[in-house]
Amino acid sequence: MSVSDATTALTEELAARDDMIVCEGVNKWFGDFQALDGITAVIKEREVVVVLGPSGSGKSTWIRCINRLEAHQEGRIVIDGVELTNDLRNIEKIRSEVGMVFQQFNLFPHLTVLDNIMLAPIWVRKKPKGEAEELARSLLERVGIPEQAEKYPGQLSGGQQQRVAIARALAMEPRIMLFDEPTSALDPEMIKEVLDVMKELATSGMTMMVVTHEMGFAREVADRVIFMEDGQIVETGTPEHFFTNPQEERTKLFLSQIL
Amino acid sequence: MTATMGDPAAGAGPVEPWDGERGPAQKPEEPSLSAGEWLGRNLFSSPVNSLLTVVFSLLVLLAVRGLLNFTFSEERTWRAVKTNMRFLFTHAYPQDQYARIWVCVGAIAVLSGLSVGLLARAGRGISMKKLSMNLMATGGVIALGIVLREPSAIVDDEGVALHRDASAAGGDSFVGWLDANAFAVLVVLVLANVALAVWFHLQGTYLRGGPEPRTAHGALVLVSVGVLIVQQYATGEVVRESFADAMSDRAWWWLAAALLAGAGAALWLGLGDARRRNTFVPAMYVFFVGAGVMVLSAWVYPWGHYGFLEGEFINEPGRTVAMTTKLPWTVMLVLLVATFELGRVLRAAGAGPKLRVPLNLLWVLTPFVLYWAVLRDPDLDWDHVLSTDLPMAVFFAAFGGLVVWFLAHPRIGEAGRVIAVVLVAVAALNWVAAYFGWYPMLQKARISFLLLAVVALLAHNFAGDRAQRMKLVAVWVATMAVFHWLVTLVNSPSTVDTPTDALIGGFGITLIVAVFTLLLAFPMGVLLALARTSKLPIFRVLSTAYIEVFRGVPLITVLFFFTLIFNLFLPDNMTLVDIAGATIGFSLFSAAYLAENVRGGLQAVRRGQYEASDAVGFTTVQRTLFIVLPQALRVSIPPLVGQVIATFKETSLLAIVGIFDFLRIADKVISAQSEFLGVKREGLLFVSFIYWIFAYNMSKHSQRLEKRLGVGER
Repeated sequence: MSVSDATTALTEELAARDDMIVCEGVNKWFGDFQALDGITAVIKEREVVVVLGPSGSGKSTWIRCINRLEAHQEGRIVIDGVELTNDLRNIEKIRSEVGMVFQQFNLFPHLTVLDNIMLAPIWVRKKPKGEAEELARSLLERVGIPEQAEKYPGQLSGGQQQRVAIARALAMEPRIMLFDEPTSALDPEMIKEVLDVMKELATSGMTMMVVTHEMGFAREVADRVIFMEDGQIVETGTPEHFFTNPQEERTKLFLSQIL
Repeated sequence: MTATMGDPAAGAGPVEPWDGERGPAQKPEEPSLSAGEWLGRNLFSSPVNSLLTVVFSLLVLLAVRGLLNFTFSEERTWRAVKTNMRFLFTHAYPQDQYARIWVCVGAIAVLSGLSVGLLARAGRGISMKKLSMNLMATGGVIALGIVLREPSAIVDDEGVALHRDASAAGGDSFVGWLDANAFAVLVVLVLANVALAVWFHLQGTYLRGGPEPRTAHGALVLVSVGVLIVQQYATGEVVRESFADAMSDRAWWWLAAALLAGAGAALWLGLGDARRRNTFVPAMYVFFVGAGVMVLSAWVYPWGHYGFLEGEFINEPGRTVAMTTKLPWTVMLVLLVATFELGRVLRAAGAGPKLRVPLNLLWVLTPFVLYWAVLRDPDLDWDHVLSTDLPMAVFFAAFGGLVVWFLAHPRIGEAGRVIAVVLVAVAALNWVAAYFGWYPMLQKARISFLLLAVVALLAHNFAGDRAQRMKLVAVWVATMAVFHWLVTLVNSPSTVDTPTDALIGGFGITLIVAVFTLLLAFPMGVLLALARTSKLPIFRVLSTAYIEVFRGVPLITVLFFFTLIFNLFLPDNMTLVDIAGATIGFSLFSAAYLAENVRGGLQAVRRGQYEASDAVGFTTVQRTLFIVLPQALRVSIPPLVGQVIATFKETSLLAIVGIFDFLRIADKVISAQSEFLGVKREGLLFVSFIYWIFAYNMSKHSQRLEKRLGVGER
């Protein structure tokens, strides 16, 4: 029995249980540049995983592969039991299960905050309008800006926009939330309001994968920290283990530079 | 916060928390500039600017004088335009059916009034300051025009202008001397301006901003105007009236100028600076007052009664215009005002958002209904309607409605795709059958099938709860009803009898071709742009080829092809009338340009918008309709309106392919009438003026639209 057979058997066994995201030997190239190099990881239900690493290490590429904003070229990605392939039906299914929050918010500027949140539940989830609006208003309440419902994104601060973006993703009632550097484009005083919403989300039991540079958040909220460099996973561990007793030289170097 | 409040020693005193509700402090209002200060800052701010001001004022005045003298010269036969007004706007549309034209104008008035009253977020309207300045400026411009215009020639009893005795035209009088040396005088004036500018500059007065340079330069402009006016009294060989006679002959114009300027001045003086700036009236009211004055003048002022009726010229100066002109226009104005007020009432009742979509749909439907049902007055064959048309419409409405109801079910899944594919196959087979003549089928049945297939393919994108599905079915049934009704109308012969192929000519045909061109070209342009940016190579290649071919061919060639050559390619029993051919040609051509404009807008939509739409699970169709297109079209409004204006003006090429459009009537028809042989310039000037009014208004409207949609802002 070869090594790869053994890992396949192992991941399949794990997939039978509460695995939400399974990545197995994922490779991706941009032209000649290899962005992801043999990523193998499993994220379980209700787990909060923070992905750290220097810029250009492939964190964002990996998280974008998980809902197929980028296509991986080798290996397998299985989300909640559905494998990501070129099959459009699988992609649609997975995207409706996975919420994503972007660094640049990417709200729809021509729609009000309420419409930003309601649009997908109505047209993708086929919810009646009234129900969708009720849901949208309760989500705005949850992220703390119910009074901004009728405004346009351009009239909100960065922190408020990002909270709307989180509400928009939650409106699809996803089982997994992906955060791609959600606070990197924010002024310092707005970072906290977004992180608070994310913490609340984590305590509520959402499965989350977060790419961030917020070490405080990683230490406080993460169940597990994954450190990446050059498209590879260098080290994985609990925040405690990761911040106090890293094993790898490269991790130590990274931590010494940022802490 | 509490720390500050508890500690008076902090000095700053209690500071209110910044809760965002209080808003920033009011910005102090900048006081209005006085007229002198305004001139100084804007027109005479430096020696070079002063020079440019003076030189360009003179050039503009010269040009205006030339245009006025051309327009109001006694050599102009404006009666040709007045007599042929009906020809110019509708050509040979029969007199006894003319009420149909007014129904069309009335329908447009009603829709416009409702739309503007209901939907236009007209902002605050026009401020009193702007209104009063505009009134005064208009009055001033009219007054300047009165004095700039050359005096009329003195005519003998037969209406022939008297000529000056060559010997009497001596250079001894001041006017004669000025006439002989007009050019030199103007050059001297400009040079004097340069000298003044240099002198004041050397004195340093410009930098200190004293009033002397402005006064000097202003006086120079006034002197130049005087030269331009006085010179008029010696120009040419014709004997002209005296200054006093010329001025008193223009009494009506003086009255208009005085009334406008007086009203403006009264507003200005009657209100303080603050009230002038902060009192607003809706722009529509200003328009209503202007239009009201025009309509009223039709009842009281002797504009004269001219016309061309059954080969007879009507020539009755000194009376008011015909009842068949002033009465309908009065009704139109009343309709417009009434519907505008109705719209405002409805808007105040909060009906605006609800009525927006129906009103826009009505606008799209109006051209079809007005053209085929009102103007064309089809003679329906009721036997055929009851035996064929009606059952077929009911069948498609019911069958299609069921299909839509079924396919829009959220859980339809694979079965939906299978049904859609079967429908597409049937629709395609119908067209193949038509080509080979396998089985007969009415063309509208084929088109209905094709529509149904497209709807079936798209249905899953719009699936939803019961209410949503009911809405889709209603839209389908309404579409079928309108479509089958219109096709029935088109297939019935018209009862309106006209001597030409076209139902209507003149400005009517110009408008009709322009409107139908845009209705056809707009969707085509958007689809072409989407195809050109599509990921599918076949769409990309076809669309690119189409666009490049049509952009590479002159429009007139396309028009010739569709009016002269295209019929040769059609089956024996089919012909395309010129108007339809021209409209198709215009549409295909404009679509290529519109597509490029929309593509520009598509490229301005950020990648993040696509990613965010994908991440929430939108299908490609949903992403395009709800996210990408709204943003892309908004960005491309300025070039799109430019294209609309261009299309509107390009319809004048209809004249070249032999259709009696607005331009052709002015150019060829009037000048061939026995009364007005060779009279062309008046008609052409009038046509340009009307084109300009429409194009200018479209451009203004686009600016308002841009502001409203916040183009350029996020």
